[in-house]
Amino acid sequence: MFDDVRIAIARRDIASLSREKTIVLALVIQIFIAAFSSFLVVGLTSLYDPGSVESGELTFGVSGDTRNELNEAAREAGVEIEQYPTRTAAMDAFQRGEVIGVLHADASSEQIEVTATVPDGSIQSTLAVVKARDVLEALERNERTNRAAHLETNPVPLPPEADASSYFGFTYTVLVPLLLFLPPFISGSITVDVLTEEIERGTLELLRVAPVSLTDIFDGKALGMAILAPIQALLWIALLSVNGITIDNVLLLVVLVAAVALLVVVLGAVLGLTLGQRRQAQLLYSIIALGLFGAAALLPEHPATVAAKLAVGSQTTVTTATVFGLSALAVGLYATTRRYVGTIDPERY
Amino acid sequence: MRPRKILRIARWEVTKNAGGIDRKTAAVVAVTLLVLGGAAPLVVAQGGVTLDEGFYRVGVDEESPLYPVVESDSTFAAQDPDEELGSEIDLRIRATQVVASDSQKGQAALAELRSSVDSYNDRVMSAESNQSAAFPVTVTLEYAERNLTTTGGTDTLDGGTVNDGTPSDSGTPDDGGNDSDPADGDGSDGTIGDGSNGTTGDGPTGEESTGDGSAGGIGGIARSLTGSDATTGTPSDISPPFPFQSLILAFLFVIPLNFVIQAYGSTMLSERLNRRGELMLVAPVSRGDIIAGKTLPYFLGALFFEGLIAGGILYLQPDSGSGLYALAAVVPLILLFLSATFLGAMFARSFKELTFVTVSITVGLTTYAFVPAIFTDVTPIALISPLTIVVRDIQGVAIEPLSVLLSTLPPLFTAGLFFVLGAGLYREEDMFTQRPIPLKVLDSLAGRIHRRRSVALVVILLMPLVILAELVAVAAVYPISMGLPQPIWLGLILFSIVVIEELAKSLPIYAGFVHNRYDRSIRSALAVGALAGLGFFLAEKGLLLAQLLGGLPEVQQAAVVSAGPTAGIGPAVGLLLLLAPLALHVVTAATSAVGMRSGRQGYAIGLTAAIAIHFLYNFSVVMLVV
Repeated sequence: MFDDVRIAIARRDIASLSREKTIVLALVIQIFIAAFSSFLVVGLTSLYDPGSVESGELTFGVSGDTRNELNEAAREAGVEIEQYPTRTAAMDAFQRGEVIGVLHADASSEQIEVTATVPDGSIQSTLAVVKARDVLEALERNERTNRAAHLETNPVPLPPEADASSYFGFTYTVLVPLLLFLPPFISGSITVDVLTEEIERGTLELLRVAPVSLTDIFDGKALGMAILAPIQALLWIALLSVNGITIDNVLLLVVLVAAVALLVVVLGAVLGLTLGQRRQAQLLYSIIALGLFGAAALLPEHPATVAAKLAVGSQTTVTTATVFGLSALAVGLYATTRRYVGTIDPERY
Repeated sequence: MRPRKILRIARWEVTKNAGGIDRKTAAVVAVTLLVLGGAAPLVVAQGGVTLDEGFYRVGVDEESPLYPVVESDSTFAAQDPDEELGSEIDLRIRATQVVASDSQKGQAALAELRSSVDSYNDRVMSAESNQSAAFPVTVTLEYAERNLTTTGGTDTLDGGTVNDGTPSDSGTPDDGGNDSDPADGDGSDGTIGDGSNGTTGDGPTGEESTGDGSAGGIGGIARSLTGSDATTGTPSDISPPFPFQSLILAFLFVIPLNFVIQAYGSTMLSERLNRRGELMLVAPVSRGDIIAGKTLPYFLGALFFEGLIAGGILYLQPDSGSGLYALAAVVPLILLFLSATFLGAMFARSFKELTFVTVSITVGLTTYAFVPAIFTDVTPIALISPLTIVVRDIQGVAIEPLSVLLSTLPPLFTAGLFFVLGAGLYREEDMFTQRPIPLKVLDSLAGRIHRRRSVALVVILLMPLVILAELVAVAAVYPISMGLPQPIWLGLILFSIVVIEELAKSLPIYAGFVHNRYDRSIRSALAVGALAGLGFFLAEKGLLLAQLLGGLPEVQQAAVVSAGPTAGIGPAVGLLLLLAPLALHVVTAATSAVGMRSGRQGYAIGLTAAIAIHFLYNFSVVMLVV
């Protein structure tokens, strides 16, 4: 009997969400973003690591005494170079736009002094710097090997080159946690809304006339919102898989999202019921939720790290323990809050 | 607008509305801030948040020379090398032999190990006694100007031309592949893996290779903060001109706005609950007074926070600019956030909906403000966002007044438009009833329509939205239609642009008809249609003029999706080319106006006809030119 009441309340809230079409719109946008997520990832990573964008032919002009060593290093780094007899000739080619940058190398007494010239103030300067760095680091490695006799410790040998997508780490450590934790955050925010709206509009009184207690209302509203987030997370995971990003441990991830959603929904509900006004409650909710997310770094593993490790399949016992710990905490807090809601005098609103 | 009334309403908003901040809220805020403030040092002491801790599992025996490398990088979890490759570990290292599991993850782990080895070597080498052997190469990085003549002209057409989507700076001969064109991005493979120090793919802890290495990344930061042109160091010291610190500072400017619009949206929406706003509406004050009064405290509050931030930065960083430009550039941003929230609160039917709207505004506007600013040092594109001015001011770079205008006027216009549209809804019929959204859209437009010529004004006002929508449409169509032959994707892009433009011209007229501002005779429909077409033509050509006079950055040139006659055309042909679009806009707007006299179905028919005419015109012109 009571279950029916609670489910009815939850269903009513979700139905009103879909009637307003905003959630439908949100889902459509979600699908749109997911459809482009590979594109999005490329864009974001290229901001963060400009060298990863494939840059076609970037030819460097090389001059100076040690240009043969530079030549060798450039071949290792996979960068095209063009030799010029003098720096002036190389700079002329640079000004004509034939080369993207100029590396002029002179051997001084013990070191090689390289002057790297790159174009100023264009998107190419970023790429040129990254490529120049690749070449010069290869040069540095070669020279170190040549001078190993003068070194106390030998440099660690470099492992072989990998044919890796540079978006891999970014996808799992940033994109996946972001997509998984955004729905719970919004769910908590909407919990504040559904409660304060009833209070502010005065419709809570009408609801109270029906044979339901405040606890039932809390149950219905909170559960309705807490269920939405894991469903959205599942949708994300499915869409990412369509995009070729495989997600491991789907079940544990959904449990994690559900636990986090329940936690923030409880937070939203408590704030909504105690403050009774959207403005204050919503403001506090976002401050506290963001603060808690930051403070979660004190846990052995941050929830975002947990999500990343689960998604990529690197979970440890600590990871699984964190998921279950968070779930237990969420359920415990929910039960406590339920008891607290029972003590609230509904007449106060 | 009367200042005294505005000030009085603003005072009420602060002191009386919804009780202000009561004692309980204040207490909760204080406790929260105390707890969070107490936790912050602990979090920092722990080394902050590292998202990729233990992300790759590496089986490594302790004798291996690579063992200390794996130990020192928190991205790796060191395990027993006897475990199974693939399911339990991603890399197996025995002595100097590295074997990666046969998966994307294994390859990514290998690339990460490569970059770890590089930074580990740099660390070890910096402890060497013979420094010239440890760091045998020194690099001086210089930035040199070069002027390559641009060859690509703007294509000339009526409202349909889109630059080819390459916002690259100057037409260098070899820029074929390195523009930020979405086309290249997808074919992601190839020469990426060679990044010997590429901090490829290790999430937000990218700075760790700089932090613990030999003070890497100095190049970028030093350059961004001091604007000096040359840096010297070891190869791993040089880094691209990425204004990292300034960006974090710029981000600080955006964060408070998100909290301010939360409160602002709530108070605007709560006016609409239980007819609370009724009292204010019947008071002898104008709509404008109410809106301005209720907005003023939030505007000043946001400005106060921004002022605090600017002051703090100036105090910490004496070599930055005056901070005045930064503040001036932040004002349009604040107004944009507030106006979008106001419009959202007027449209929202419930708190839940407002939350969705606020989240969208936060995400959308933060992206708009923040992402272009990343390119601050790089391209003129950055000037789209006012934050660029803020970053440049923080860097102490000289700022041209013209560029301030360029990056502040568009958001100011848009903010004005949002306030005007929202004000159209600030009336009893819309605030206190649950009107369907399409009707509300018409209401918001009709708020400004009083006589025939006002339709032209509304069409001109809509211009920022038209450009925005067209940019989004082009961005959406472009990747989808990659594989299609040229006439088809060109047609798709032209079609979406034509639909947007025709809607922008006809919706204000339709709003006028629905609100019975115009009588439904053929004559009046033709007159109103002609005025709307004229308004659109003026706005479009006005933008073109601004583009020619001001030398807009190229992305904005691309944004000005229309272009007129350029050099090399005789005056008679020029006049014809100028007048043809005018005739087109007048004819199409009049077509939809005539159709919509008989209601919604007639509107649909008229609009379809107008779109067909416009599309045929654009497509044939494009085909002639291309």
